[in-house]
Amino acid sequence: MAVAGSQVAVAPLLVPLATAVAVLVVGFSWRLQVGVSVAGVRGYALAVAVLFDRVAGGGTLVYQVSGWPAPFGITLVADALSTFMLGLAATVAVAAVLFSVRAVDPFGQGLSYHALLHFMLVGVTGSFLTGDLFNLFVWFEVMLMASYVLVVFYSGPEQTRAALQYVVLNLIGSAVMLLAIGGLYAVTGTLNMADVARRLADPGAFGIDPAPVLGLSALLFAVFALKAGLVPFHFWVPPAYRAAPPPVAAVLAGVVKKVGVYAIVRLYFTVFAAATLPVDLPGVSAVAGDSVLAFYGPVVFVLAAASILLGGVAAVAQDDVEGLLAYSSIGQVGFIVLPLAIGAAVPAVRQVAVLATLVYTVNHGVAKALLFLTSGAIFDAVGSVRFSDLGGLAERAPVLSVCFLVGGLSLVGVPPLVGFLGKLYVFDALARGRATLALAVALIGAVLTIAYVTRAWNRGFWGPPLAGEVDVSREEVAILVALAVVVVVLGVGAEPLVRAADAASAAALDRGAYVSAVLGGGGT
Amino acid sequence: MTQVVLALVLGALFAIGTYLVLRRDVVRVVWGVAIMSQAANVYLVTMGGLVGRAPVLGHDAEATTCAAAGAAGEAGSAAAGCVTDPLVQALVLTAIVIGFGTTAFALVLTYRVYEEHGTIDLDGLGEVVR
Repeated sequence: MAVAGSQVAVAPLLVPLATAVAVLVVGFSWRLQVGVSVAGVRGYALAVAVLFDRVAGGGTLVYQVSGWPAPFGITLVADALSTFMLGLAATVAVAAVLFSVRAVDPFGQGLSYHALLHFMLVGVTGSFLTGDLFNLFVWFEVMLMASYVLVVFYSGPEQTRAALQYVVLNLIGSAVMLLAIGGLYAVTGTLNMADVARRLADPGAFGIDPAPVLGLSALLFAVFALKAGLVPFHFWVPPAYRAAPPPVAAVLAGVVKKVGVYAIVRLYFTVFAAATLPVDLPGVSAVAGDSVLAFYGPVVFVLAAASILLGGVAAVAQDDVEGLLAYSSIGQVGFIVLPLAIGAAVPAVRQVAVLATLVYTVNHGVAKALLFLTSGAIFDAVGSVRFSDLGGLAERAPVLSVCFLVGGLSLVGVPPLVGFLGKLYVFDALARGRATLALAVALIGAVLTIAYVTRAWNRGFWGPPLAGEVDVSREEVAILVALAVVVVVLGVGAEPLVRAADAASAAALDRGAYVSAVLGGGGT
Repeated sequence: MTQVVLALVLGALFAIGTYLVLRRDVVRVVWGVAIMSQAANVYLVTMGGLVGRAPVLGHDAEATTCAAAGAAGEAGSAAAGCVTDPLVQALVLTAIVIGFGTTAFALVLTYRVYEEHGTIDLDGLGEVVR
């Protein structure tokens, strides 16, 4: 059911945009910038909460930009899946902005840091809300443009080198995305996602031939895999996460990566799965069926398995906390996407699989953001994040160590933290789909996660304390504690999270409801 | 015939772009990325169909796009004064503006790489020891 005239769907988009502009306007004073930025991110969280409430109570909200009716105009669709992802984005964004105020030096903050952070939020929010393929490209570019500057923010030798790699890879990815979108427009005749789904479901009625959709969607998948950092598109992740300021790395790992995962769920499970076309890869018996998802089952499995294994093994071998967290992100994204592979191959478990992906997304988003912010606090306290410079932090900075432990245990999947739920649902989806190979890979990945979290804890937090000052900032630790409490609360009080994820996965797979919300009754 | 020529041109542009992206000089890499994005823009324009007049409102009060005319079954749609698809041209305008912003940033980043490393030779950037 769509509600016409729903301005509240645009609110999460307008609030960070207005905040970014206001921050630039008051650019002469650092204190005013901080005030506006903090107020803005709190307003963003409020707008997301209001939208979440409206959608949970009243159904999908649809907003037609400038009143042009669908499918000609740009549609913003706030359904359960979009609001779920926005909730994650708001949580991580609030923590990151508040942490930035303490962690990034004031001169740097005054140089449009807060404006960039809010522009990145605009891009992320637009990507989650849009219902139009080319509009998705535009919001991706907004998000990427802000992240390019934020990754290279400290402008040292390491940052410029990492940013060069990040920028070039993503610019090529943008060109490839344009190719895919152009091709999809030529095949289906429309850019509106709901209209594409409608046309693919009934190609004869619209006079289109859906056969090229498979290849073009594979081209688009490469771009989303690049955003999500799946192997073999992962090469930009470790340098970029090491180089970026810790709050930016938290937002990149916690939110921006998830935009790639969200795009995969939305475009492949809701839109492209509508097409019925014979899929057959000569020589590969696993790829055979009559839906685009029959191709993506094995492909996503290979990518996810490679990510889990490579990310886990490389993380164990890292010498510094940030490198470990970056490779861990690669591995964890493999975990997030693995149930999607099983869901694509086995239609009966599709909803459980998407549910598992979403719950694990929240786990990784919040826990990894907590870990990156903790590593930032460690850097501010000790002056280095190399394991050879750390040691015995558990005695000298106990609260900081507890925050790191909470984040690490959540990644491992220890109850009662939210990571336990994530791992539980992932293994449940794999078991229901009878995917023994995927289960084996997931088990190996879980063991590797335990290995690198234990290694980080032993090297950095236990053991003989190393010489040097440990000057922990109380305000930074307060934010970390709040985020750790969120991780614990989401795990202990899991019912609302699971209910929201269930509604989101149902919305992701309910193509009929999505199409009728946008096209059949959606007004201005 | 136009389709074949355009396809060959697009292939050549992508080949040139890929070749440049794989060079050692950072400026050549930026050139390569710029050429690849412009090739994607040319591709977008061709996706709108290669028949029809320019989509300028006012030349003909009752113009239909060639895609709509083709769907309605009119033969000789080019002669019927149909208009080429304006949507892809709007997409290309957006993409050109985005490409302008990102190319500008890539060039400034190149200069910054030179300032920090003293060289724009990718082999000379080397590993950074923290």
